[in-house]
Amino acid sequence: MRRLPLTLLAMWSAASLAGTETSMDTETGLATWQTETAGIQVRLTQISPDQARGFYQARGFSPEAAERYAAECVFMTVVRNVGDAPIRYRLADWRYEPAGQPPRAIRSKAQWERIWKRQGVPESARIAFAWAQIPATQTYAPGDWNQGMTSYSVPRGGAFTLRFVWRADGKQHSGKLEQVRCTDENA
Amino acid sequence: MKMRNRLASMAFAVLCLPGVPVATAIAADLPPLSHSLTRQAPKPAPALKLKDLDGQPYDLAQLKGKVVLINFWATWCPPCRREMPSMERLSQTLKGEAFSVLAVDVGENADTIETFTGQLDTTLTFPILLDTRSRTMQAWKVAGLPTTFLVDKQGRIVASAIGGREFDHPEMIRTIRELLGK
Repeated sequence: MRRLPLTLLAMWSAASLAGTETSMDTETGLATWQTETAGIQVRLTQISPDQARGFYQARGFSPEAAERYAAECVFMTVVRNVGDAPIRYRLADWRYEPAGQPPRAIRSKAQWERIWKRQGVPESARIAFAWAQIPATQTYAPGDWNQGMTSYSVPRGGAFTLRFVWRADGKQHSGKLEQVRCTDENA
Repeated sequence: MKMRNRLASMAFAVLCLPGVPVATAIAADLPPLSHSLTRQAPKPAPALKLKDLDGQPYDLAQLKGKVVLINFWATWCPPCRREMPSMERLSQTLKGEAFSVLAVDVGENADTIETFTGQLDTTLTFPILLDTRSRTMQAWKVAGLPTTFLVDKQGRIVASAIGGREFDHPEMIRTIRELLGK
């Protein structure tokens, strides 16, 4: 399979915020935040509204339904076990905190499913949506990982901190990605 | 922490465009494919009875006596697309042995899948089965894509992997050969 030339389009920087590293894709202007702590790696990469619209319309969403999702702040999310012990998370335990506001839970796949049914999104498109999101709960052996979308109700250009929680070795752990920023409409 | 340069957003953008050659969407921003298989206590595999792209029925129960690698995937899942050629290489490496690969696609039709496979540099020779309503994936308790199971000759799940893998890695081949020898 051919590969894109691996030109260095992204520039990583050690962020001033403890534990969070950021990068910017200089071609698209879309940014990534990543942290790695106690055996888990969590990474959020901005998905532009146009990308979100295009992805779901290509999978059977109406323009109106795709617009509903694109109105959220959407990120490609990677969770990976980079340690030596199994880890387990529940997305329902994670919280995001927009600047100056109380913590909120991430809208679940079940909540989205109800919205899509109300909007008449066909079953095949709803199945694609469900599998395109990061799993609601997952247990990772060392080396396991997933990539999927998460969405946040944050205004364009707004920032938030994501607090993620997982269990390993019988203990609960937590970490955070700080100053994650919602992409602009025209990114 | 060691960070790698990524091209995630570019890859995602390309995935959104129908008709854009698939191969250009693959390489970009993915964590490195690993090669671990997580061994587990053997347990009977759930039923897997599905049709392939040509409507030919497949039943896992009829593959007893073989080691079977079952991969749940979809064409829009970047790690799934990326690991697919290595699954074909694995299949070729173990050709003639009591080993089969079954790729189970979730929620897509044959046309969509063939558009993807037709754009690969590799011709896939293993069956691609259609789990149109994702019922089989639910029965297998798959939570995310890709997820892969290794089933032994007795029809028991003995190992699994979540996330993209390099299936023709020597460690993977060694694990499968161990099972073939049992």
